[in-house]
Amino acid sequence: MSTKDFIIEQLKEQIADFKMSAKQETVGRVIEIGDGIARIEGLDQVMMSEMLEFKTAKGAIFGVALNLEEDRVGAIILGDYLGIKQGDEVKCLNKILQVPAGDGIIGRVVNPLGEPLDGKGEIAAAKYYPVEKIAPGVIARESVKQPVQTGIKVIDAIIPIGRGQRELIIGDRQIGKSAIAIDTIINQKGQNMKCIYVAIGQKESKVAGLVAKLEQAGALDYTTVVLAGASDPASLLYIAPYAGTALAEYFLDKGQDVLIVYDDLSKHAAAYREISLLLRRPPGREAYPGDVFYLHSRLLERACKLSAEYGGGSITALPIIETQAGDMSAYIPTNVISITDGQIYLMPELFYQGSRPAVDAGLSVSRVGSSAQIKAMKKVAGKMKLEAAQFRELAAFAQFGSELDKDTKAKLERGRRLQEIFKQGQYSPVPVANQILIFFSLINGLADDVPVDRISDFELGLYKYASASGAKILKEIAEKKDLSEKLETEMKGLINDYKNGLEYLIK
Amino acid sequence: MKITPKQSALSLYEALEEKSAGQIKAVIKKFVELLARDNMLGASDKIIVQFVKIWHEKQGLVEAEAISANGLSQANIKLLENYIIKLAGAKTVSLNEKIDKNILGGVVIRYGDKILDASLKTQLEELKEKMVK
Repeated sequence: MSTKDFIIEQLKEQIADFKMSAKQETVGRVIEIGDGIARIEGLDQVMMSEMLEFKTAKGAIFGVALNLEEDRVGAIILGDYLGIKQGDEVKCLNKILQVPAGDGIIGRVVNPLGEPLDGKGEIAAAKYYPVEKIAPGVIARESVKQPVQTGIKVIDAIIPIGRGQRELIIGDRQIGKSAIAIDTIINQKGQNMKCIYVAIGQKESKVAGLVAKLEQAGALDYTTVVLAGASDPASLLYIAPYAGTALAEYFLDKGQDVLIVYDDLSKHAAAYREISLLLRRPPGREAYPGDVFYLHSRLLERACKLSAEYGGGSITALPIIETQAGDMSAYIPTNVISITDGQIYLMPELFYQGSRPAVDAGLSVSRVGSSAQIKAMKKVAGKMKLEAAQFRELAAFAQFGSELDKDTKAKLERGRRLQEIFKQGQYSPVPVANQILIFFSLINGLADDVPVDRISDFELGLYKYASASGAKILKEIAEKKDLSEKLETEMKGLINDYKNGLEYLIK
Repeated sequence: MKITPKQSALSLYEALEEKSAGQIKAVIKKFVELLARDNMLGASDKIIVQFVKIWHEKQGLVEAEAISANGLSQANIKLLENYIIKLAGAKTVSLNEKIDKNILGGVVIRYGDKILDASLKTQLEELKEKMVK
């Protein structure tokens, strides 16, 4: 009985609280519709990128006003435009496009409007964040100084990434661009980092596989996937990265570190080109509209490292660009290269030679990341960059088959081992302490007597041995983040002890 | 540059301002000749629509529509007219009345691009939405 009374009491309260009010609204009418674009008559006071509501027989569909012309408004439709008819009423919602953000989105797969796609129920929204926002200014920012450990040896050593940096991953199709981003996300476990993966125009089967992989690796505890699939309209593809950044800004405002992956921005540019052409904006180079640079610069500028007074949070962006047959000088790749703080260039030749990840150490750069590298890594990696560069030169030279002096031969041998060490399987990130240990053994010549084809065995064995009998040393490297002389001798001792048990060494 | 119907209508309105009935005839004749010369007679319908709009705007006249379920009393219409005058900042209002049983009760006022929905149907829907939550 009491529950019935309670319900009736609640009902009465709700009805009493309900205020009868009528708001004045601005309305217009659809005069033309098609291809995800609507032209609307009326809507006198509509603002740029304001949300619109289309009233249809099947319920409300949202849109965004993009073109404000003299007597009509061009809008993109976020959702199924087939339900909208000519003459339907359109209402201004007096707000800019927003997405719900909150801690509830962690571990979920959502569409760019923040609606769940994974069938795990409604998401409780703590706040609404505008999709378009001006990036933090100079005052609020700070230079990049903390590292993002990607767990990929070649990147952490030669092209280090810092928190708040924008590092482009660029390369042809199918040579492991997404793999680098996913490995980085997997390696953020326990690194105090929230991750957002924005899939733009990806095959949904690929995204489903990826979510399963993240779940398996336990990475969904801190990761959100924003999905605008290949079958979604261009309007959703267009807002997806901005929506993902809005979610990231929720965590940024709480002073947390966020890693956001845009996979990939070439498809995003193509979606924006589609929208622009349908809205009859004049096409420019490669038929992209004039503001395609601003499209990406305003997005990537939102990646930042805030100073302590502003919460100290950061957004690290890993945009991905797909090139056609290695053409880095196409329009979109050059644009994004100039916006970002460096790029990781993946080379098809290296990939097919089997050296994966196929990172080209020569063309890849990180403009700010070295200041974020931990001291211990700097000590071992600084020498390695030189070794890698020298090896490339010598290897090209040595192809002529001429007699080589002892010094050159030694350098070549060292370089081959380095190349072997840089090889790494997918979904197997290496902790930073282990990375330092293997690099340390290489630059100190401790790996010189290991045959080149046994390097990977040597490496795996070393990690196993170190976690069994050198746990203290690994812990010290990870905690002190620097190599003291005493620690270096201990490391040498550890590696030599390990080598004593090996049979395949060159005598 | 192409002249839009709106621009033509505006210039016609300006040319007609403070003219006597006789002068108006002459001005309109000239205007039509101009349209014929510039091959714009096809746009005359649009120009007329725009002209009515501009005329209403300049004269402070607002065309409004009031939709109700059961018709409105004279006193209510008077009240509504005064309300719209205040809302739209107009001088005079010409109010068309419409009856639509679907809105159940209350009134929906529509003028220009604006709509003021105080119908019972909308409010019931809002209440339903709130209760569902």
